[in-house]
Amino acid sequence: MNDLLWPALALLPLLVTTLALAVADRTSSPPSEPLVRGLSVGSALLSAVGVVGTVLTGTGVDVVWIPALGVDLDLRADGISTPLVLLTAGVGIVATALRHTRPPVDRTEEDRTAPLVGQHGVPGLAAYHACLQLVLLGALVTFLSRDAIVFFVGFELVLLPMWLLVARHGDAHEAARRDGAALRFVLVTATGSTLMLLGILALSTLTGTTDVDRWAELAGASLSGREQLLVAVLLLVGLGLKVPVWPLHTWLPWVHSTAPTAGSVLLAAVLLKMGTYGIVRLVVPVVPEGFATASPVLAGLAVTGIVWAGLACLVERDLKRLIAWSSIAHLGFVVLALATGTETGLQAALFGNVAHGVIAALLFVVVGALKERWGSADLTVARAALREVTPRLGFALVVGMAASMGLPGLAGFWGELGAVYAAWAPAEDRTEGWFRLFAVVAAVGAVIAAAYAVRVLREVWAGDRLLPAIPDSHRVEGVLIGVLVVAVLVLGVYPSLLLDVTAADAAALLTGGVR
Amino acid sequence: MTSLQWPDLPDLPALPPLPDFPGAAAQYVVAIPLLAALLAFLLGRTSSRTAAWTVVTGAVLTLGAATWQLYTISVGVVPRVSETVGPLALGELTVPLTLSASPLTAITAVAVALVALVVQVYARWYLWYDPRYRQFAATVSLFSGAMLLVVLSGDVVLTLVGWEVMGWCSYLLVGHISAKASARRAAAKALLVTRFADLGFVLGLVALTAGPGSTAIADIVDHWRAEPGTALTVAMLLVIMGVAGKSALVPFQDWLPDAMEGPTPASALIHAATMVAAGTVVLAQLFPLLQASDPARTTLAVLASATTLLAALLAFAQPDLKRLLAWSTVSQVALMLAALTAIPVGEGPDTAVLHLVSHALFKALLFLALGWLAVLAGGTLVSYAVSGVRRYGSVRRPLGIGLLALAGVPPLVGFVSKELILGSAEAGVQAATPGPALIVLAAVGAGAPLTAAYCMRAWLILSRPVLVRGNGRTGEQLDDFFAEPEVMVEAVGVEEAEAAISSPARAGITTLSLLTVVGGVLPLTPFFDVELHLNVPLLVASLLLMAAAALFVLAASRGVRTRDAAARLPAVLNLAAERGLGADTAYLTLVARPTMALARGVTWLDREVLDGYVRAAGRAARLLGRGGERWSPVQPAPSLVLVLAGVLVLAVIGVVLR
Repeated sequence: MNDLLWPALALLPLLVTTLALAVADRTSSPPSEPLVRGLSVGSALLSAVGVVGTVLTGTGVDVVWIPALGVDLDLRADGISTPLVLLTAGVGIVATALRHTRPPVDRTEEDRTAPLVGQHGVPGLAAYHACLQLVLLGALVTFLSRDAIVFFVGFELVLLPMWLLVARHGDAHEAARRDGAALRFVLVTATGSTLMLLGILALSTLTGTTDVDRWAELAGASLSGREQLLVAVLLLVGLGLKVPVWPLHTWLPWVHSTAPTAGSVLLAAVLLKMGTYGIVRLVVPVVPEGFATASPVLAGLAVTGIVWAGLACLVERDLKRLIAWSSIAHLGFVVLALATGTETGLQAALFGNVAHGVIAALLFVVVGALKERWGSADLTVARAALREVTPRLGFALVVGMAASMGLPGLAGFWGELGAVYAAWAPAEDRTEGWFRLFAVVAAVGAVIAAAYAVRVLREVWAGDRLLPAIPDSHRVEGVLIGVLVVAVLVLGVYPSLLLDVTAADAAALLTGGVR
Repeated sequence: MTSLQWPDLPDLPALPPLPDFPGAAAQYVVAIPLLAALLAFLLGRTSSRTAAWTVVTGAVLTLGAATWQLYTISVGVVPRVSETVGPLALGELTVPLTLSASPLTAITAVAVALVALVVQVYARWYLWYDPRYRQFAATVSLFSGAMLLVVLSGDVVLTLVGWEVMGWCSYLLVGHISAKASARRAAAKALLVTRFADLGFVLGLVALTAGPGSTAIADIVDHWRAEPGTALTVAMLLVIMGVAGKSALVPFQDWLPDAMEGPTPASALIHAATMVAAGTVVLAQLFPLLQASDPARTTLAVLASATTLLAALLAFAQPDLKRLLAWSTVSQVALMLAALTAIPVGEGPDTAVLHLVSHALFKALLFLALGWLAVLAGGTLVSYAVSGVRRYGSVRRPLGIGLLALAGVPPLVGFVSKELILGSAEAGVQAATPGPALIVLAAVGAGAPLTAAYCMRAWLILSRPVLVRGNGRTGEQLDDFFAEPEVMVEAVGVEEAEAAISSPARAGITTLSLLTVVGGVLPLTPFFDVELHLNVPLLVASLLLMAAAALFVLAASRGVRTRDAAARLPAVLNLAAERGLGADTAYLTLVARPTMALARGVTWLDREVLDGYVRAAGRAARLLGRGGERWSPVQPAPSLVLVLAGVLVLAVIGVVLR
């Protein structure tokens, strides 16, 4: 029973808080903002303690849940999932601690002069925090689960609260856009989930189990080549919608431009990772031959996405959408690294995954704060140079963009370099010529990343305008940004911190079977 | 031709044993400036003084550590390989992340540390009133740390780390005065041009690494030496592309003169010891591979030779003396790289590294002295700087020494390093594959008089006699009781000059002047293993050519009010030279505009085609769903409860089925 302590501490606070807040939201006098936010942050902190405990003690839950379907509630963290659950817990604290203000609306000419900042008393704040809690819960279940069905449950648990965050608490400029974003999100992710469920069910019928460790041990032995390919394609398309892989990416900029700051942070740092994690868990070791067959196409799409999204960043007008595009490019590197089928590639992908989570969280916190102050994130509007008026936010943006362009010493570098190397020297069963071409294209994408980083800094950070003045980061923002900047720096300077955690399990994953 | 063995100095006297420090010197040399940068950034938030003390202390300690390293290497203390944050667990790829020091890299490190120290001290004076002094000082410290990392790197990944960090620091330093539009543009240009070229650098290093499956430079050199061929040539050509970007070779040369927008200490650092010299350092580390691939060598020889001549020509016609120095950097750095290709197979890259060190000394001197003059005269345009060294006597000596060294006048350090390059190129011509050496010999031969010409031009402008001052003491005039005598005017100028600068900054300039004068003995030290290819006729011919060029410039400057020989050139040529022959326009037309057009095309496709399917699917789903809309929950909280209820039901089913 002692074993249950830490996992329970990781999950139960989130569940209980979700219920409490969801109920509280329906009462006639909803609780005040400090209370709701305090409860939410407290629960995220407790859960983070639980997650750290689970990881350190290596404990887990293992109860038979639905024996008729062979479904076990098997929640444990191994080397692959440890960085991701820690990321989720950390980002969870960031997301809940961010103050949610009234979403911006289209304002008439008369009230243009009204102050933007400090509009509190947001309706439905309790429900908003309930959604955040539920997203965290779902993400933790997804990453901890060693059973494909439970993985799927966690995966699905995230969708609806996320949709609510976008549709109800998002940017209210031009209502149609918010509507369009929510529609795209729900449509795409529901389609993706359905395809993934089909793949999981196919695998469970073919192997007779839903235990992913068992799947990895079998390594597709009981499947014919054609079956492997079919399952791999189903799962890759389903998960690829989530990642997202080009050309299934069009929903992401929409959702990011609309979602509230905390929603964007969670979406970029946690939700997208569920897609890549799914590929690592359900595809790479499970149907190795099918994955190998599909990998040149996957890698080709990934590098197309890198260049495509990078180019889009050069002309994008909305800063939040721009960061969303850059996310697509970064995840392109992760997918490319996975597709190479080497241990180097897998390590680079796992590193890049977490690095992007931290960098994207930082960038979205900063850009969200800017959008709140500016009233929109439109880059064509002339604004005060951040370096002159808000040096702290400006510094955070510089670090974020530098990390985004893959500057060494910051987190983004190792994953991208590893991906390019792995593509240059792919596994034996990959076509070397194609992958070398992909390596070149990916390197071109990295150059484009520098170009858009420079573009953003030149348009937003540097300049001589001092008006309209906006306030610099306040205390909570300052602390959150500081923590994320330190994380970006530490991962960049000392990558072994993460690489050593994943190394053993990554090696085991490719050689079949678990450690 | 006579070939002599250069006599080595007797071994250094054995100093008392140093206390046993934990770790290797190289680790200190790299870590101290990085830590100083971080500390200065964090501690200097409220006071520039704290920041200054931090970075200057860091720079002094770095110089100390670098000197200690040089000493330990000279007395043959063997453990030269030291660890950093590695090895990395990157699967099949071995990434040891080690530092490694050899005599050549150790002396380069000392030069870098010295220039960094002088620049830090100077910057404290130069940016005294700058509210962003802290950021500047921290960036300079980070910059020098990154350069030292490249110099002492034993692993191509560390080389790449230092290389890219330098590019980023140059962006921050060049764009330091970010309220100025031209500085913002120059910073972006510096980063983008070099990062574009780094495309080749990254791929080249990846390709080199893929051979042995290890990123250690020693492994890479061993592996590819054993199997040279097309793969090696391709990889080296890619690396050379990156080097061409950082070292401003044709066709990437145009970012460097624009980088003059940065404050003078930043220019001194970028031009003298870091960034542009990094290419030479990396190729010196990969030297056996460069020699193993003739196509790569020839390509580099052609690029470097073309650059050194073109830049020398452009330097002559610049209307701004700071830009003249910038183009002279392009020319001199190309000369180092040319030297690498001309060295006969089997010999080490010593002559190129010697020129690197020599150039670091005199170029830092020139930039810092010119910056001093600019503060006094109000700018570096010819019209401001004219008569500069006459009016402000104190800058006369440093600028004179720097220009003489740049021109290659004996016995200054610039003369020694250039003659050694000439000699080794001449020896290279006798070798089995004389192609690259022949090109380089021609370029160096033609470059020497050109360099002398633009140095002469700069000196003539700077030292023009003061024509008219006050109420016009020249010509016939009644003796005016109130007119100050000539001697007084000069004394006032010296006083002004010395009052303007801080004494530590002045001491730094004096140190560099001194080293520029006595640096000629460097090849005699045991750190350089220089084969002396002494060719007296060649030497005399090159000196005569230089003298002829200088005389020609002197003649041309007669009758021009500012004594500017370039004023004799047609205005079209002057204008074209000032604009770098339109390279900027070419970058825009060939790369930037097509990329932006492509980007617009891509976003159009994305919006109209890819997203079109999603939108259509959305509309279809809407239509289908309209029928059931009445029953679907539209309030968020109930739907949330419904989801949870669903989870609960699932759980119950689970328990029941059990």
